[in-house]
Amino acid sequence: MEVLDKLLNVALLVATLRTTAPILLVALGGSFTTKAGIFNIGLEGQMLVGAFFAVLGSIWSGSALIGVACGIAAALVFALAFAVLVVSFRANEVVVGLALNILAGGMTISLMKAIFGTRGSIVGQKIVGLPKVQIPGARDLLGSWAPLISGYTPMVYVAFIAVPLLVLFYKRTRLGLYIRVVGEKPEAAEALGISITRVRYTASLLCGLLAGLAGAHLSLGYITMFTENMSSGRGFMAVAILIFSAGDPLKVLAGCLLFGFADAFSLRLQTFGFPSYLILAVPYLVALVALFALSYRSRPRIIRETLESMKKMLSVETKPAETGSNHPR
Amino acid sequence: MSDRLRAFYGQIIALAIALALGALIIVLIDESPINVFMTLVRGAFGDQSKIAGTLLQTTPILICGIAACIGLRGGMFNVGIEGQLFLGGFAAAWVGFALPLPAGLHVVVGMVAAVLAGAAWVAIPAYFRARYNTNEVVSTILSNYVAVLLTSYFTIFLFKRPGGWSETPPILPTAYLPELFSFSRLNWGLVIGLALALFVAWFFRQTAKGYSISMVGSAPKFAEYGGIDVKRQGFLVLLASGAVGGLAGGVETLGVHHRFMEGFAPGFGFDGLIAALLANGSPIVTIFTALFFGALRNGSLLLETDTSASREIITVIQALIILSVSAQVLMKRRGDSTAGERRWKF
Amino acid sequence: MSDTSPAKTQETTSSAENAVELIDVTKRFGAFVANEAVNLRVKRGEIHAIIGENGAGKTTLMNILFGLLQPDEGRIVLNGKETVVTDPATAIDAGLGMVHQHFKLVPSLSVADNVFLGMEIRRNGLIDHAAQVEKTRELSERFGLKVEPQERVSLLSVGIEQRIEILKVLARGARTIILDEPTAVLTPQESRELFQTLRGFVADGMTVIFISHHLEEVMEVSDTVTVLRHGKHVATRPTAELSKDDLVRMMVGRDVSFDRRQRTKTSREVVLDVNNLWARDERRLPALRDASFTVRAGEIVGIAGVAGNGQTELAEVLAGLRPASHGSAMLKGRDLTALTPAAIRQAGLAHVPGDRMVRGVDGSASISSNLLMGRQFKAPWSRNGVLDWKGVAKQAVEMIKRFDIRARGPEDTVKRLSGGNIQKVVLAREFTNDADFLLIDQPTRGVDIGAQESIHDEIMRQRAAGRAVLVISVQLDELLTLADRILVMFNGRIMGEVEGDSADSERIGMMMAGLNANSAASEVAA
Repeated sequence: MEVLDKLLNVALLVATLRTTAPILLVALGGSFTTKAGIFNIGLEGQMLVGAFFAVLGSIWSGSALIGVACGIAAALVFALAFAVLVVSFRANEVVVGLALNILAGGMTISLMKAIFGTRGSIVGQKIVGLPKVQIPGARDLLGSWAPLISGYTPMVYVAFIAVPLLVLFYKRTRLGLYIRVVGEKPEAAEALGISITRVRYTASLLCGLLAGLAGAHLSLGYITMFTENMSSGRGFMAVAILIFSAGDPLKVLAGCLLFGFADAFSLRLQTFGFPSYLILAVPYLVALVALFALSYRSRPRIIRETLESMKKMLSVETKPAETGSNHPR
Repeated sequence: MSDRLRAFYGQIIALAIALALGALIIVLIDESPINVFMTLVRGAFGDQSKIAGTLLQTTPILICGIAACIGLRGGMFNVGIEGQLFLGGFAAAWVGFALPLPAGLHVVVGMVAAVLAGAAWVAIPAYFRARYNTNEVVSTILSNYVAVLLTSYFTIFLFKRPGGWSETPPILPTAYLPELFSFSRLNWGLVIGLALALFVAWFFRQTAKGYSISMVGSAPKFAEYGGIDVKRQGFLVLLASGAVGGLAGGVETLGVHHRFMEGFAPGFGFDGLIAALLANGSPIVTIFTALFFGALRNGSLLLETDTSASREIITVIQALIILSVSAQVLMKRRGDSTAGERRWKF
Repeated sequence: MSDTSPAKTQETTSSAENAVELIDVTKRFGAFVANEAVNLRVKRGEIHAIIGENGAGKTTLMNILFGLLQPDEGRIVLNGKETVVTDPATAIDAGLGMVHQHFKLVPSLSVADNVFLGMEIRRNGLIDHAAQVEKTRELSERFGLKVEPQERVSLLSVGIEQRIEILKVLARGARTIILDEPTAVLTPQESRELFQTLRGFVADGMTVIFISHHLEEVMEVSDTVTVLRHGKHVATRPTAELSKDDLVRMMVGRDVSFDRRQRTKTSREVVLDVNNLWARDERRLPALRDASFTVRAGEIVGIAGVAGNGQTELAEVLAGLRPASHGSAMLKGRDLTALTPAAIRQAGLAHVPGDRMVRGVDGSASISSNLLMGRQFKAPWSRNGVLDWKGVAKQAVEMIKRFDIRARGPEDTVKRLSGGNIQKVVLAREFTNDADFLLIDQPTRGVDIGAQESIHDEIMRQRAAGRAVLVISVQLDELLTLADRILVMFNGRIMGEVEGDSADSERIGMMMAGLNANSAASEVAA
């Protein structure tokens, strides 16, 4: 009982929300490109440069907000490069995405060495992190459950508020609608005079915006430091989530919560003496298992094939019915 | 012929653009591009031991590059070579220190273990790719992280060398991959890599099986029509690619480190993939692109001590090369509407 | 040879009465003339049918009218005003609307969203779904096109999808509606409902242009018929003055020019025996229904029919590329429906696929490499799994010569060749396989006349060599030239069979249009 108490409590839920936020932000960014029909493996790199330049901006300006803006700007540059190469030059999106990731890794480390003369990480007082937001009255209202809604850094709120906003965006705005149409049925967009190129560029840049926010959150909110390759695969996990959620914001949220929980729970397990290396692998394993388990759903063709073969087995009996009607549906 | 010539020129132009961009970045970080370049050259080819060092770095990149070539030719993006390399490296090391065998046989068994480990590691992503069309890029990337952590766990929790840092006990000398020269750790791994490159090139060019796989990679519907089992070939291609990735790890542990160390070969898998992409999936050309990247890598060691630049600047240059080569596809397309289309599709 | 020479006999109506006038419109694609000085006058308030065989130029003409293609010559007059239709937007502004054969709806969106896509109703910057639903309902009620505005399109039947496409056009204020083969995807019931709707439109003062090759429909619904043949205007007449026979004659033409190949009749063993074969298309609807026929050695059997009536599915099932849902296809005693493509080839199939560039070749590979496909594991092409490229190249040179492939050499990349030469590469590979059964889907599609001749010669040589040949073609002339027997497919069924010698193109035309020729059924059964 005590063990369970220690494992499952408000703190775990809080930790879940905290660990969910960065991956949620980047996955929501990827939702734009996914919906627009672009496979964006470059999320990882966009997030990483976002994190690095956010720290850089924060140190230079002494303002966390300017830091966030710098992070977003850097990620947008990467997103633009991705869009130019993939949309305009029609380069292979996997090649470009991977190369941009590698570029992000090498560039941040090189710049870190050049600017700070260090390897590994940037830490110190000079980085101005994002403040924690205390919601007034939360304690009176919820008592010991207050940390659930209060005391996070701003991007955590942004991430969770972005989910309903994105739902609204896809449902009620023209751009959201066009992004969906371009991804789902480009020939319909073309027939109606909607520019596929422009919509895909916009989607890529919106993606960069959120990926940059995710990065800034990582280095100024989640923790206040930058370390080499600190995105540590979150961008790739986001892509896995996007594959099986098809970019749908609510499903993205569900997927990210699963990861956040797995992450928080496994960190909790660590205090019980489980080997840290195995625990660190848990989120990746969860991503892999989810990807494999749900892969047949993201590919309706496979269901169709399976049904086809089942039908084939059954159709011998049902044949006469088919002969009767001209157009069975 | 003129097509090839044009493609070659295109490649050169892309390289030039990438190097110019790289120079720009070097200027931005307050270094002299010429200084960096000269240091790289000196670091890579400055003397006998530097050249040997370059070849030593080339070896794993080459083998990983061949692994990537196999995947690319069969239409599969194996981005998990890094992970296969780690597992292969560990498996070989385990055979090396835990399984006393006669000399000669010991090396072979170690290599076989590496190959099997690499293939086994990619088997699940390969199965899901073949059976359910699960995106192999994402599944293999994610499995890299697991592989690195898993081997670290083995090393530190299960097989740690008593009193040592995060590494396994040293392998028995019977499992050493023999060295080529006395002045360097350069070993038979390079020969294995070169032989493998030639073999894979021959395989794709000269065998019926290789022909079938290439066709699956470049025109899957045509291959299906021609009676090739496309799904099965896809599975086998990824498996073979993973096996070679594992071999690269085995060569590193049995040939260079003589033990498995945590983080023993960072980035070789990705370098190999880039080398293969730059070579457009040709194992022979990969020999040269791998040598190029090996030189960059070895030269960058000197960069760290002799200049203020970080050795990761070479990663930046590599990425820029790939980006400009990928963009070049359209430059070619403008002139000839179909010429560039197949590049990157292999 | 029609009895009406269009330019002279057509009454010259005053322009204002006409919703649409196309005058001397010519459109060429390279050397191919899709439309040659075509004249079309559509009176306001009529249903005007345009009929013709596949490739007669109907769709090209409508694409020109709607601004999707630009004519090389000729003028367009809309509602009495000469208009240069540069793009669909111009056409829409002029009150034209087009319902394409292939629908362009977004499955995950609602009916109303699809209707208003590209012209969304917005309030405070947000899409006002309620208003769109309301407007859609209004339109739907006003024009009698029953839809449920809030339903997702992915859940709806093809018939309703078509209604949505029509609503899209109406919502954009169209007064003249062009429908490209609207009934091709509909059930008879759905078609009847559509006709009622169209009648309602003209009663409302609107104009309908209706492309079809289904004679009965045209007779049933249209006021006026324009017949096109080989890109030329044959006649425009009030429907009431015409019989089906007249239409068939005008469509197919009495002077079908074909040069029937001489042959000696043979009666040899059955090579392919198809029994009650069924298959489904991508939407899992039955596309091939209960096909039964045989092909004998030394015989060419032709499959005639308008494209999309199950021929593709038939070919794919026989080649093992599509599962059969029922029935059997025995090739020399082995059931093809249970075999893999490789095993079927082993059993004696050579296949010239209809979609040449996707299935038939790897465009980026060399001619040699393309000629190798399917036999890479066999001697003499390979020994112990090692390819003999020299031998392959030598053979390629021979084939290039024998099949008259115009290329620089065996290492030439296939996609650099012309359509006809690419087809010859496919034929060269498949005809030299020593297969007992040749399945040839569209032997001369996109192939110039000279190459057509030589391809036909080659097919006849295969017949003479005792092969069983099944030729699928949408070009009737071709089948009349080649086939010993012709089977006609319509809506997935084999409607009937005619002997090649006594082939009567009118009767075949009837069957192609879905009319059950009286004796057809009994002949097939026999």
